[in-house]
Amino acid sequence: MALLELAHVSKRFGGLLAVSDVSFNLDRGEILSMIGPNGAGKTTAFNCVTGLFPITSGSITLDGEPISGLPPHRITKLGIARTFQNIRLFAFMTAVDNVMVGAHWWMKERVWDGAFRTGRARREERSVEQRALELLDLLGLSRYAGSYAREMPYGLQRRLEIARALATQPRLLLLDEPAAGLNTQEKKELMQLIARLRDEGLTILLIEHDMRLVMEVSHRIVVLDHGEKIAEGSPADVRTNPRVIEAYLGTGASNEMQSA
Amino acid sequence: MPDRFRSLFRADTGQGQRTRGNTVFWILSSTAAALVLMGWLLPWFVDAYSAGAGFSPQDALISPPTGVGTILIYVLAVTMVILVASPLVEPLARLRGTTFGRRADRIRLIAALVGFALTVVIWFLVSVIQEEPLFGSFGPGTYTDSAVWLTMYGYALAALVYGARPWVVGRQTLAFGIAVLPFGIFLPLMFHQAPDFLDWAAGSLAIYMLLALGLNVVVGFAGLLDLGYAAFFAIGAYACASFASPTHNIHWPLWILIFLGAAIASLFGAVLGAPTLRLRGDYLAIVTLGFGEIIPDLATNNVFNLTGGPNGISGIDQPKFWFLNFSTSPRWYYWSLLLVSLVVIVLLRNIERSRVGRAWVALREDEVAAASTGINTTTTKLLAFAIGASVSGLAGAFYGSIVSIVSPDDFSFSVSIAVLSIIVLGGIGNIAGVILGSFILTFVIFWVLPNMNEWSTTLSQTVHVPGLAGIDFSSYTYIIYGLALILMMLLRPGGLLPSRARQIELESGGESESLAAVQGVA
Amino acid sequence: MSEYKGPPAADPGALGVGTSRGGSAMLVAQSGLAPRHGRAGGILGGLGPLVRLLQGWISTYFSLLLLGMMALAIGLTGVQHGVTLMGEQIKNALVLGAIYALVAIGYTMVYGIIELINFAHGDVFTASGFYAFGFASLFHLDSLATGSFGGLILALVIVFPLSMIAAGVTGALIEFVAYRRLRDAPRLAPLITAIGVSFLIEGIMLVVEGPDNVTTHMASWINGEAFSIAGVSVGYTDLFVIGMALVLMFALGAFVRRTRLGKAMRSTAQDRTAALLCGININRTISATFFIGSALAAAAAIIYSINYGVLKWNIGFHLGIIAFTAAVLGGIGNIVGAGVGGFLIGIIYVFGGSLFGGEWSEALIFAVLVLILTFRPVGLFGVEVTTRA
Ligand SMILES: Nc1ncnc2c1ncn2[C@@H]1O[C@H](COP(=O)(O)OP(=O)(O)O)[C@@H](O)[C@H]1O
Ligand SMILES: [Mg+2]
Repeated sequence: MALLELAHVSKRFGGLLAVSDVSFNLDRGEILSMIGPNGAGKTTAFNCVTGLFPITSGSITLDGEPISGLPPHRITKLGIARTFQNIRLFAFMTAVDNVMVGAHWWMKERVWDGAFRTGRARREERSVEQRALELLDLLGLSRYAGSYAREMPYGLQRRLEIARALATQPRLLLLDEPAAGLNTQEKKELMQLIARLRDEGLTILLIEHDMRLVMEVSHRIVVLDHGEKIAEGSPADVRTNPRVIEAYLGTGASNEMQSA
Repeated sequence: MPDRFRSLFRADTGQGQRTRGNTVFWILSSTAAALVLMGWLLPWFVDAYSAGAGFSPQDALISPPTGVGTILIYVLAVTMVILVASPLVEPLARLRGTTFGRRADRIRLIAALVGFALTVVIWFLVSVIQEEPLFGSFGPGTYTDSAVWLTMYGYALAALVYGARPWVVGRQTLAFGIAVLPFGIFLPLMFHQAPDFLDWAAGSLAIYMLLALGLNVVVGFAGLLDLGYAAFFAIGAYACASFASPTHNIHWPLWILIFLGAAIASLFGAVLGAPTLRLRGDYLAIVTLGFGEIIPDLATNNVFNLTGGPNGISGIDQPKFWFLNFSTSPRWYYWSLLLVSLVVIVLLRNIERSRVGRAWVALREDEVAAASTGINTTTTKLLAFAIGASVSGLAGAFYGSIVSIVSPDDFSFSVSIAVLSIIVLGGIGNIAGVILGSFILTFVIFWVLPNMNEWSTTLSQTVHVPGLAGIDFSSYTYIIYGLALILMMLLRPGGLLPSRARQIELESGGESESLAAVQGVA
Repeated sequence: MSEYKGPPAADPGALGVGTSRGGSAMLVAQSGLAPRHGRAGGILGGLGPLVRLLQGWISTYFSLLLLGMMALAIGLTGVQHGVTLMGEQIKNALVLGAIYALVAIGYTMVYGIIELINFAHGDVFTASGFYAFGFASLFHLDSLATGSFGGLILALVIVFPLSMIAAGVTGALIEFVAYRRLRDAPRLAPLITAIGVSFLIEGIMLVVEGPDNVTTHMASWINGEAFSIAGVSVGYTDLFVIGMALVLMFALGAFVRRTRLGKAMRSTAQDRTAALLCGININRTISATFFIGSALAAAAAIIYSINYGVLKWNIGFHLGIIAFTAAVLGGIGNIVGAGVGGFLIGIIYVFGGSLFGGEWSEALIFAVLVLILTFRPVGLFGVEVTTRA
């Protein structure tokens, strides 16, 4: 059974059908990329999966259980974590605290534990902080552990968002244009990171415009245009699909796609 | 000790930290100056009629030196001038580009220590040898005692700030606490001759401080604007009144009632909050305002015959444990409230640094991201609401017992605004700031303004300006609240003592939409 | 940026979080791969869908419920107290509603354009009532107005424009001093300032005008019965109040739809950045919005004064909240909605009072406010809009 399954999902904003009857599956351990021109509805699809938008019709299931209609935090608890296209960190929290927020839902500490600083609370705080620092370390951010998120360089903010998402102990990670604004070196590191996450068994749904990256890491690709799914298949299939080339025509990405 | 490490992390924005530390330094050093000055002027100022009775250098100038005490007073005057001038001169010097070095600090430290010692000596001379005519009597009705205490406190404070300047700048919160706590503890002793001042300290300062601490959880920590906070105060007060008065013939002890008041208020907080906390920030503000108006309305209309209508409930018990008779002096209330406040402060600080506190900050900074990171926005907000309300209910229970009568007028919108002004003035989200703010605002509103009526009448008789008599200064209350809110928001949005992140946050602007806005719910 | 040296060694294995450092550290927590059952969320978890269903149902039929209950209240009053009293009350409701409507428009315009609940608006209302009172005594308008019909017209022609201009300037000034600098600050900041301005104005009026009711003599300007139907006597004052309100509202509607400034206002309300790009002077447009809103409040205050004859330093606070409720009821940002909402709130206020007793009117309005914002924040006629994520 697929881990995530979207069946005939539509999302309407007033007169605009931002996502229109989109269906696809995501298997365990797979990296699926969603591509398409700007405004194709990719981010909207993410928002639907993570419960930020109620869907207009269709169904979304995780591990066979329907998740559409659940509030975002419940979906996170079920194991879906995400990053945002326009970075949404807690700007005036330190990097460690940002990551520790990711541990919020699975921490056992209750209010009174915190209020009276019980031994249990302190032990847990310590181990969570340890885990947060470890995540920062693994993502190469330990230098910035104590900085406010807004003081970090842009590329590292993107990575911090990934660290925060990983702290929620996800089964499925949704990355919304993680390479946007990164330089070549950072992109290479990102690619390694994604590969490593895959090796550790995480399932990833990726939105990305960088064709080289997409072609390299994805097992399969779904192409959206004007809210509709116009193609799905292996990178090689998608690359040669005439509808995809048409959708991308003149965007520059089409050339890149061929060369990637 | 992860906490130590965390504070290490947080200290990394060196610049902001220093500025804040300097603010605390400046506040403490000017407070020291003010106290010294007040000790100097108080007998003269307050006891205008007891002619010369007091502890004041200007008397020494008038009458020729007759003894050791008088000569010592000249020395004392020098130390006073140094310490009073310092907080004014130092910023001026900085404006002109020069700074005072270590040496200046050392001189001032010496001045403070000498002053302190001299005060003790002179006090001794006065009370034992009774050296006249310089010093007035310590009898009832004079403020000589208070003046001595204030002077000593001022010197001690000055010794602290000038003696340990780097420490004060570095550990501002701790320094602030150490500077303020003894004052809080000894206040009833220092002013034992002024029962109405103690009434103020218990009934206004301590109560409003508790209220502000509670509202700070809602507004400061969680970032939700609650304009009907007085409602929970009312609920606590009425709960206490109902269970400890002849009205329903129930007489429970206060220490049970404060918990009961807190519990009932937090229950109401949760019940009222549950349906509304999904709303956007400004809508939430106006809904809470609505609740804040409905609750006193209900009390006025005597719902279920519980509240006694517009006249309220009177004859509320004042507790009496063996030798502690609360009805004889406000000091017992004051000390109980101080104790309760300290407990509340410690608990709130702990919560602020715990899992929930982090969730509040996350929520305040970006509700959408917080929700997507696994935070249940509704229950987290509800928790802030309930905790804030419970502190308010606690204060309400005390309040009912102190004033012994509660009526709907005590819980009007202006109470909510007073509490809001306190935290805006002191520093939204910063407990130390809230304490400072509650002191300043309640002092001005509930002590200075009511007394101004009398002072100005006296003054009008002395200087023969009839216009000064009969001005009702209490009617300026609203203007003061208004100005405090406007000026702070425009000029110093972080408040007098801004919390670490809050200052930059408020100044740099940019706020994310609430989850409700994103989902199109509200 | 100081190098972080890492925390001291923690007790290993607490809560099963991997603490091993070096090569074997995992990015993905192992428990993350295990199936989870996050669905059932305690006792309340099961209630969630039910509550949501109920809430959805109430939201959908909120308008019908509210209007139905209003009709019921009117009918009940008629049955209980007779048709004459019912007619009397309808008249009162319309008069009150006219005043609320004019004030509500100010709230709605400001909210529509800068998304701020302008708490000071209710107090601008009171202040302009005092302005009018001031102008009336300055130019001895009382004797002029009570002298002859022409004199009355003249007095009105003097007092309306002067007070409206004064109030408009006050409103624009408030915006300039207190809100403009906070336009891009977090929402809470201007909201708090607005409350501050409200208290400041109230405080000034308290000091200047005193704590008691102030009789303005304007109640004697217009009098006499115009006609009576079914025993309900309708005075010229009533006609004047409702007529004036309607005229002003239609004038405003025409202004917003026809003039350049009105169009600028509408486009600024829709998208400030886009309006700026189209060359609209945002600052001037916002000032004009405050000016017009406050001027309408002044008109409302004069009408109020003519109808009731008294003012008090703090009437604006409650009246303001009630008018704000009207604005929300009609859909905030919607000028026509605010007008209609004002009259609806007038009906709720008056008939709620006649059913439950006058002391409950205000609590009832607040309850309505809470209910609307909870169940139908878009107002009776509003359509749901989604903002961007
Ligand atoms: N909250 C919203 N309200 C209205 N329209 C929206 C909203 N979010 C996205 N849209 C519209 O939906 C379409 C798809 O947007 P998006 O999903 O962000 O595209 P992509 O991520 O593929 O670039 C766009 O036309 C956008 O304007
Ligand atoms: Mg996108």
